[in-house]
Amino acid sequence: MSALFPPWTNTVSRFSLVCLALGGVVGAVLLVLWVESPYFTGQHGPIEQPVQFDHRHHVADDGIDCRYCHSTVETAASAGFPALSVCMNCHGQIWNKSPMLEQVRAAYFSDRAIPWNRVHRLPDFVYFNHSIHVAKGVGCVSCHGRVDQMAQVTQVAPLTMGWCLGCHRAPEPNLRPREEITHLGWRPPTDSGALGHALVAQYDVHTRVSCSTCHR
Amino acid sequence: MSSLDPTGPDVPIARLRARPERRLWRSLEELARGTAPAGPEFPPGASAPPEPSRRDFLQLLGASAALAGLAGCVREPPEKILPYTRRPEDVAPGNPLHYATAYALDGIATGLLVTSYEGRPTKIEGNPDHPSSRGAAGVFEQALLLSLYDPARARAIRYRGAGRSWRAFLEYAAEAVDLHRKDGGAGLCFLGEPDASPLMADLHERVLRALPAARFFSYAPLAEDAAYEGARLAFGRPLQTRVDFSRARVVVSLDADFLGGGPDRLRAAREFASRRVPESELSRLYVVESALSLTGAMADHRVRMRSSEVVQFALGLALELSPQLQGGPHTQLTATRPLHVMARDLLANQGRSVVVAGARQPPLVHALAHAINAALGNADRTVAYAAPTLPDMAAGPAALAPLVADMRSGRVETLVITAPNPAYTAPADLDFGSALGKVPHAIYHGLYEDETAAQCAWFVPATHSLESWGDARAWDGTVSIVQPLIAPLFAGVTHAELWAAFVGEGDRGAHALVQDYWRRQPGRPDFDAFWEEALHDGVVRGSATRTESVTPRWADIAAAAAAAAAKPTSGGGIELNFLPDSKVYDGRFANNAWLQELPDPITKITWDNALLLSPTTAGRLGVESADLVEVTLRGRSLAAPVFVLPGHADDVASIALGYGRTGLNEELAQGVGANAYLVRPSDAPWFAPGASVRKIGRRARFAITQDHFTMEGRPLALVATPRELRQHPERIEEQRAALPTLYDPVPYPSYRWAMSIDLSRCIGCSACVVACQAENNIPVVGKERVARGREMHWLRIDRYFSGPSALDPEVVFQPVACQHCENAPCEYVCPVNATAHSDEGLNEMVYNRCVGTRYCSNNCPYKVRRFNFFDYVGQRTQPERMLQNPEVSIRSRGVMEKCTYCVQRIERARIDARVAGRTIREGEIQTACQQTCPTRAIVFGSLHDERAEVARLHADERRYDLLHELGTRPRTAYLVRLRNPNPELS
Amino acid sequence: MATAPAPHDPLEPLPLVVGAPDDHTINESLFQYVWKPTGRGWWTVFLISVAGVCWFLTAVVVTISKGIGTWGNNIPVAWAYGIINLVWWIGIGHAGTLISAILLLFQQKWRTSINRFAEAMTLFAVLCAAMYPALHLGRPWFAFWLFPYPSPTRMWPQFKSPLTWDVFAISTYFTVSLLFWYLGLIPDLAALRDASKKKLQRVAYGVMALGWRGSGRHWHDYRLAYLLLAGLSTPLVLSVHSIISWDFATSILPGWHTTIFPPYFVAGAVFSGFAMVLSLIIPARKFMKFEHVVTQKHIDNMCKVMLATGLVVAYGYLMEHFMAWYGGNQYEAFVFRNRRGGPYAPVFWTMIFCNVVVPQIFWTRRARYNLVIVWIASVLINLGMWTERFVIIVTSLHRDFMPSKWEMYYPTWVDWSLYGGTISFFLMCFLLFLRFLPAVAASEIKELRAEMVHDQGAH
Repeated sequence: MSALFPPWTNTVSRFSLVCLALGGVVGAVLLVLWVESPYFTGQHGPIEQPVQFDHRHHVADDGIDCRYCHSTVETAASAGFPALSVCMNCHGQIWNKSPMLEQVRAAYFSDRAIPWNRVHRLPDFVYFNHSIHVAKGVGCVSCHGRVDQMAQVTQVAPLTMGWCLGCHRAPEPNLRPREEITHLGWRPPTDSGALGHALVAQYDVHTRVSCSTCHR
Repeated sequence: MSSLDPTGPDVPIARLRARPERRLWRSLEELARGTAPAGPEFPPGASAPPEPSRRDFLQLLGASAALAGLAGCVREPPEKILPYTRRPEDVAPGNPLHYATAYALDGIATGLLVTSYEGRPTKIEGNPDHPSSRGAAGVFEQALLLSLYDPARARAIRYRGAGRSWRAFLEYAAEAVDLHRKDGGAGLCFLGEPDASPLMADLHERVLRALPAARFFSYAPLAEDAAYEGARLAFGRPLQTRVDFSRARVVVSLDADFLGGGPDRLRAAREFASRRVPESELSRLYVVESALSLTGAMADHRVRMRSSEVVQFALGLALELSPQLQGGPHTQLTATRPLHVMARDLLANQGRSVVVAGARQPPLVHALAHAINAALGNADRTVAYAAPTLPDMAAGPAALAPLVADMRSGRVETLVITAPNPAYTAPADLDFGSALGKVPHAIYHGLYEDETAAQCAWFVPATHSLESWGDARAWDGTVSIVQPLIAPLFAGVTHAELWAAFVGEGDRGAHALVQDYWRRQPGRPDFDAFWEEALHDGVVRGSATRTESVTPRWADIAAAAAAAAAKPTSGGGIELNFLPDSKVYDGRFANNAWLQELPDPITKITWDNALLLSPTTAGRLGVESADLVEVTLRGRSLAAPVFVLPGHADDVASIALGYGRTGLNEELAQGVGANAYLVRPSDAPWFAPGASVRKIGRRARFAITQDHFTMEGRPLALVATPRELRQHPERIEEQRAALPTLYDPVPYPSYRWAMSIDLSRCIGCSACVVACQAENNIPVVGKERVARGREMHWLRIDRYFSGPSALDPEVVFQPVACQHCENAPCEYVCPVNATAHSDEGLNEMVYNRCVGTRYCSNNCPYKVRRFNFFDYVGQRTQPERMLQNPEVSIRSRGVMEKCTYCVQRIERARIDARVAGRTIREGEIQTACQQTCPTRAIVFGSLHDERAEVARLHADERRYDLLHELGTRPRTAYLVRLRNPNPELS
Repeated sequence: MATAPAPHDPLEPLPLVVGAPDDHTINESLFQYVWKPTGRGWWTVFLISVAGVCWFLTAVVVTISKGIGTWGNNIPVAWAYGIINLVWWIGIGHAGTLISAILLLFQQKWRTSINRFAEAMTLFAVLCAAMYPALHLGRPWFAFWLFPYPSPTRMWPQFKSPLTWDVFAISTYFTVSLLFWYLGLIPDLAALRDASKKKLQRVAYGVMALGWRGSGRHWHDYRLAYLLLAGLSTPLVLSVHSIISWDFATSILPGWHTTIFPPYFVAGAVFSGFAMVLSLIIPARKFMKFEHVVTQKHIDNMCKVMLATGLVVAYGYLMEHFMAWYGGNQYEAFVFRNRRGGPYAPVFWTMIFCNVVVPQIFWTRRARYNLVIVWIASVLINLGMWTERFVIIVTSLHRDFMPSKWEMYYPTWVDWSLYGGTISFFLMCFLLFLRFLPAVAASEIKELRAEMVHDQGAH
């Protein structure tokens, strides 16, 4: 009787066996890589905001300190999102006719909040506290990047637990003198390692990795 | 949400209130404007800054359960941030503010300190500066928070069911006043609850000035008339009795449950407990009662008897102790041995003892107690007398009778009811309901549209205590200003405003009313300073009333005693006892799920009341627990399930009031338990003879959190007398001596968090359980699930009966939460590291890592872990979501949870301390249970500091570990419960 | 079938193959079912089992959408039917592995006619078992956290936890059993391919036969692979159920915390496994008419194995209770008092009857030869082994250290549906297997017969 399968089927079968074996492994590896990719962690680009607020202009050009708007960063868990009154402090006088600010004025006078889009989002079971990090000499730039160079704020850090732990296990590289906290362009004088160690001692830095440090 | 909103997009009442008191109202101005996107109901949530709004549990559910699960394929929509338009000063997002206020129960206030996040009250604690609270709060005060957000609360002013505005009501009230002017207001009656508020007293007078013939009645189903009558009998005028248990070496309670109830129970508990530890001279407590009460559970010697026999017992005691009464008629009660021993013990402790009479007992018992205290020279030492704080003492069911008669005869044209739900709480024989039908203009002011509202033409929603301006007085007369924490959620009106409506000031707002009143008071040169201080401290300094020394009228007492002795003891049949409920009080808290699900301290029954019988009586009647029976008293009958309770008096049946509610809007309360008011006689409101109990044949199903009452001879809750402790140190030593181990000890370089629980101090009141529930966002699961053994309380209070006889058991309470073992069995079995050990010795539970194998619970010898069998938080209604504590994650379905030692408080204190560059101070962290404990039974702190109190208690001679032999090395230590029995009786 | 066969010289061993059929007749008789159109009987049973599977799926949907609350579990009884069934099924699986691996290494000729059958059973049993660990999780969608992989959280499973070991134990067990079973099938698949008439069948079987031509080299490699797999799975027979038993033995719970568990679980597993083989093969060999290859001899041997393992299990029970008394630990002592006399005592005594009393009948040749008795006994033993797991898990949990937190456990309809559902699933797989694949390893039978002929020649 005629052969049931032509010879090439051997190759096919061997090939498919190999695929079967490798497929699972490769798939798993790809998945693991993907969940840490910028796309998945949300670093893939700026998030549209209802009002075109340009940090470059306010921080770099006008040299406004971060804490002018994010005023509770040293006292509370939240850095604090500026109330419209803060905008109007300046824009009541300058650019108070600018069409770009129409929405802000409207919101302010009608007392409707502007629904901003959150850029740096942690899961709700994570309790991050700005005040302690600032108090221990972690600069804004360490997590938020060069906001002074962003037209629209982009998430630069992965904000994964692994990333948090990295710093909590070896904080030295991310420490700076307290007076430089909001200085985004600050560079450690020479040997950052030595300074880091000095600051750990000086600010009595005890990074903790127990679960309840962040999860409660 | 808009459906919840009675008044449309802008909330006039809120605007009304938003004006005057800037310091408090800033965070609510957004509300007053009422234009926040999330709708006026949730201004705090809506106008809240990012941090707390991120805590909103819906998102957490999303993140932790569904979305995180599908994180691979679903991208969450960008989260919105709604900043303030103007951020109030001193509101830092996520940092709580604390406001002092007060809550009056039956007219007597307890000072409170309320935690508020962005204008959202999230936790109630006692006010340390308040004389009766001293930082403690009871179950009712703790649970107040939930009733604030109760979606069943009334939402609109109604006239015959149709919505009306406050303005409309004011006009109506004005007309009514004009109409009544002609006869001086003879047809106008006010029915309120007893209220010590100076403002209300003032309004009372002003109404009378306008309408001299108007009449005011007070009604409280649990009013303590007898106590005042007793004082009148003994001293010629009604007086308030103030007992100082901290000075009493011997306490005799004549059916007085001073630990479980009473207006000053928190102070009483604290003072009593201070004498139950070896540091002070140990006191001895004798209790004479019928149903086992919290006080009875603490007794060193407890005599069971019918409530009606207590008077004879008191008589016997008085005859032995007060010479002034001797030679009088002798009691029929053949004086029993315990009576003689008690008398001797009292005599041996003249001036250091006290006899207290229970509110349930007739005036004579109180008078006799006063007589005995006078004879023993206890007056002005352990017991003092003062003018009553309450203006109107006669407020019991008896006091209601004349009003009802007038209502029937149509002499009452307008009736303003501010007493909570009298149509339900009035004794059945008065038939208040039908009488109410005869009143043409009935106005009811209450939190709920309940049984009473259904029969009144006008209904005016009351503001919750946390929404109200007002004032109140503590048991010792100390005045507190009641300030609101949040603008009324449901367009409520305060009590004061309602009455003010009848003097034409109903539109001024409660804030103006109370401030005006106090501004009028003399001796306040700088009113604003006084006001600020009063609001800030929560008390008006030096406003307590003086005590006065009085002498008994021996002749009157003797005469009354003779009369009573001549009268035969109450007739045969079963004596039916009516008890205040430990959870729903008189029924007003029936719709509060925290309280309904709180196990009764004695029976451990949730979501129910029961007819309590002694084992003997139950045997005689051929019934057992959960049998449905029909109780009949004077022709009225009631079906209720039986619960056989050791330690209950024979031939007595006891049932708690406040259940069997039929109010349409209070879904939770509907059909829970049996309504004992239906058989409560107005002339014998506390106990009546001649009841009969008939088995129906059907059975009920209780949801009991502790089915098994004995310790099976296991060393769990240890009890000892000081002598035993001295003679057998080894017995306790083997419950704490270090066990051999192969492992090197784990070093804990910094803090070592630990707790100690003193069983001698714990009175089982369960305030800690509710406090824990409020602090940690613990869900309520309902009767069925409790019955299945799925209750969620992180902290449970085990109650064991011990001793030779099941008829007279010794009772011991043992609060059990996670023991935070240093060698925790739960940790090594978790396959995903969801429960791990912290560097400070906390046993941490990471909800967001938990996959729910439940292995940890199996391996926990203390069985303190709780599992989310269903999605409980998802079932919460809109207003309830506002009470979530933003500092604590909300647990999704399928994860394990348990006591964390209030880790959120530890972390907050740590961050505050480290930002300030210091270490955490001793006493800076209080766990929720510790903070509210009236008796200071729970102490929390760090062992690394030998001077810390917890460290001292861990080294105490009474300290032991629970299930020590397992070698889990718990961080929670227990202190042996001390008993101080009289050698003559044991 | 109830009658004992014609008496013959007791010294003469029973034949493993009745008569001396040639290869063709063997093919004929063993493959007939693959060719014959399916009968009404098969369809009825099959449809019933399919219905059961649908019911099972409903229960699964309810469990996953509503939560574990739909089960009867509570605190303290946090584990119940889920784990009971897991352990039960895993145990049943063991007979297959034992037969195919250990008996092969011990060169037990009688294994050949039943090994395919038993291996299939193992496979399906492990499938059923493997459903429970995922199902009983509070958040099944996170089940992958139990596998070690570098996650963004830098969190790993906790390797101290027996549940993590289970993950490896069960997955390994499944993989090896699958390979073993399939490898054994290859020559017969080839035979089916060659024998099949229709094109489709030829292709289907052809693909599955992986190009087997029965050449000497094929046979050589095949034998080698088979032996290697046997060697691989031999330790599994012992390891898998030992590890399962550690879920309990490593805890501190009285009634769980005991060193006797591993041997006693393994013995119990083999015990229940053989019981399941018997309760399936006795009807199967009758309806599929291969009494001549699965002979009385096989049944006799299996009964003896059950008797032996049953005695080990009985010893396990005895020791537990003895130690509870002798150890003098009040908690331990109470748990076993509570098993004997507590609210779940009926279950305990059922267990004693089924697992200790019933197997004793196998001492008598009469019982071993009476297929009805053997079948009823093996069904009872399966029941008994299920109650054993109930006793171990539920009675230990429902009353442990703190009397204040003692609770009763009552299963819900979901619990029952999940249990009945897996049984239906198991049955369905088995029917499909009987229908489309040779239930008896024809190739090995042929070898066996050849060897036997050769032996007789040597006389």
